[in-house]
Amino acid sequence: MVDVNDRVEVSCESCGAKVVVEPLQRTSRCPYCDSPSVIDRPATADRPDPVFAIGFAVDQKQADGLVRAFLKRKKMAPFGLARAFAEMVQGVYVPAYLYSAVASSSYAARIGEDYWVTETTRDSKGRTRTRRKRKTELRDLRGSHRTYLGDVLVTASRGVSNEELESAEPYDLDELKRYAPGLVAGWSSEEPSLTREDCLALARRESAAEVGRLLREFMPGDSVRGLDHQTTFEDESADLTLLPMWVFAVRYSQEKPPIRLIVNGQTGEVWGRVPTSWRKIGLVVAVVLGLLAVPILVAMIAGLLQ
Amino acid sequence: MTTAQAPCSRCASPLEREDLRCPICNAAAPEGEREDRQQTEIEVLRCEGCGAAVAYDVRARAPACAFCGSVMYIEVPEDPPEQIEGYLPFTVSRERAGEAHRSWLRGLGWFRPSDLHSASRMESMTPLWWVGWVFDAEAAATWAADSDAGARRADWAPHSGQTDLEFENVIVSASRGLSSSETDRLIPTYDLTSARDRPDETVTEAVVEQFDLPRSTARGRVAAFIRRTVADRLQQGHIPGRRFRNVNAALVLRRLVTRRRAFPSWVLAYRYRGALYRVVISGQDAGCLVGSAPYSVAKIVGVVCGGALVLALIVSLILAL
Repeated sequence: MVDVNDRVEVSCESCGAKVVVEPLQRTSRCPYCDSPSVIDRPATADRPDPVFAIGFAVDQKQADGLVRAFLKRKKMAPFGLARAFAEMVQGVYVPAYLYSAVASSSYAARIGEDYWVTETTRDSKGRTRTRRKRKTELRDLRGSHRTYLGDVLVTASRGVSNEELESAEPYDLDELKRYAPGLVAGWSSEEPSLTREDCLALARRESAAEVGRLLREFMPGDSVRGLDHQTTFEDESADLTLLPMWVFAVRYSQEKPPIRLIVNGQTGEVWGRVPTSWRKIGLVVAVVLGLLAVPILVAMIAGLLQ
Repeated sequence: MTTAQAPCSRCASPLEREDLRCPICNAAAPEGEREDRQQTEIEVLRCEGCGAAVAYDVRARAPACAFCGSVMYIEVPEDPPEQIEGYLPFTVSRERAGEAHRSWLRGLGWFRPSDLHSASRMESMTPLWWVGWVFDAEAAATWAADSDAGARRADWAPHSGQTDLEFENVIVSASRGLSSSETDRLIPTYDLTSARDRPDETVTEAVVEQFDLPRSTARGRVAAFIRRTVADRLQQGHIPGRRFRNVNAALVLRRLVTRRRAFPSWVLAYRYRGALYRVVISGQDAGCLVGSAPYSVAKIVGVVCGGALVLALIVSLILAL
């Protein structure tokens, strides 16, 4: 668990004011003179030192524009969303683990091997007809599969779910840099708030799904059924990596909670779950029905006139 | 300059100083010394120009000073272009190469123009060091494939297995100037133990090709080459059967060591009746020659017509009988 009493009192190097930094923040800005500073706490198992970071490549203005364009594309979104005010814009370095391992699996499957048979049938007039028909022979196959897995990113933050991170992915890992305070100074940067063990569990789950995909491609034969696999991960490593992300809260109605939108701070990819407006759908259906009704009405009126 | 770094802890492949992660297995490269912090430290980055506290700037992709505009240096992983580490010497002289070309032209056979040997004019003869990688590696392959062995009603039966493969002194071309069909023929002629630190002076005016791709791409290319080769190797005695399909292999590579080498060759351009032809000769074996030469259209047409005539004669004879 993260120690909640791990608040740090910083005295600002520029103006001398005392500032309290929350335990989950890696960075702070002096409220009096706006000087940015980076806090380096002693590393622990659940809060290791960051190893890698990807720097922001999308600034606030660009992120704002991307979000507007994204909302405009959502034609079935509730009224007012396209013009809604994007509040609480925040550029944050989200802690994540970059996981890699050797995945060893044993699998079992039924492999379908196709073959053709010629069938001779007699039709009602007594003529013989032959046709080729495909049949499938099922053969059992067991075996093992070993591969390196890398580039698996899982969240280490309670603030951003792994699902949200996956939606913001991919990050271009060629742009990965060794962590340096200069990459996060002046920006909001979070410390991990999930335990390392929880993150490893997430990473293994994501990796097992990836192994499943690899195995489906790995299978011989013309078709595969009942593919079952057991995977163990050896030689694991998980390196704390700080990922840039813009988080928006869009409020379009006083009664509804704001919608959360996430912009990948490196690639500018936008993701968010935008609700569908039933009123809008109803309206569209009504208009379509109305348009369909016009010719019918015209025809009816024409019929009455004759 | 590039090595002297501990090998990767997971796959034992040598790492280079610039590597953040192992290019083979993705393990993080060990970082230099980093002192253990006992206490929380507060770090304020200061502008080297005016002393103001600086923040990371999106446009500069680095910390930049909002007051005086100076940008702080940030360590960027370098990806330098590959450099040649060893040159294999020329053992075939200019004269010997020219002679090999002439005797090759003479021995091409009857379907070539009769005056090919006498009417060809040498345009250029360039000694060229083409570049490539020599690698060693261990590959633990788990595989699955269809083969004819054990087939019942269908033509194919599935098989699976594990095979450990070793690669030693395998050459992969990185050449842009020479095609892969050319380098494939030249590769067996080289003596890899003859590599030296610098080009030999016996051949003057030699052109040295450069690796024109960064290191990260380079090791990807070698790994891709291994993947392609593994399927072929597995079909030679590891998968039961004679016919194969869907040969899929998953690899765990270890100890991938690559050396960057320059391989000697003679590139000859000769002209016959206005058209240009190219011939490449191994710089270490004059007997290995790859190239193109014209065919004699007249002779081929003559033979085809002659053959047709003979056929027609035989047919008419048979019919007459």
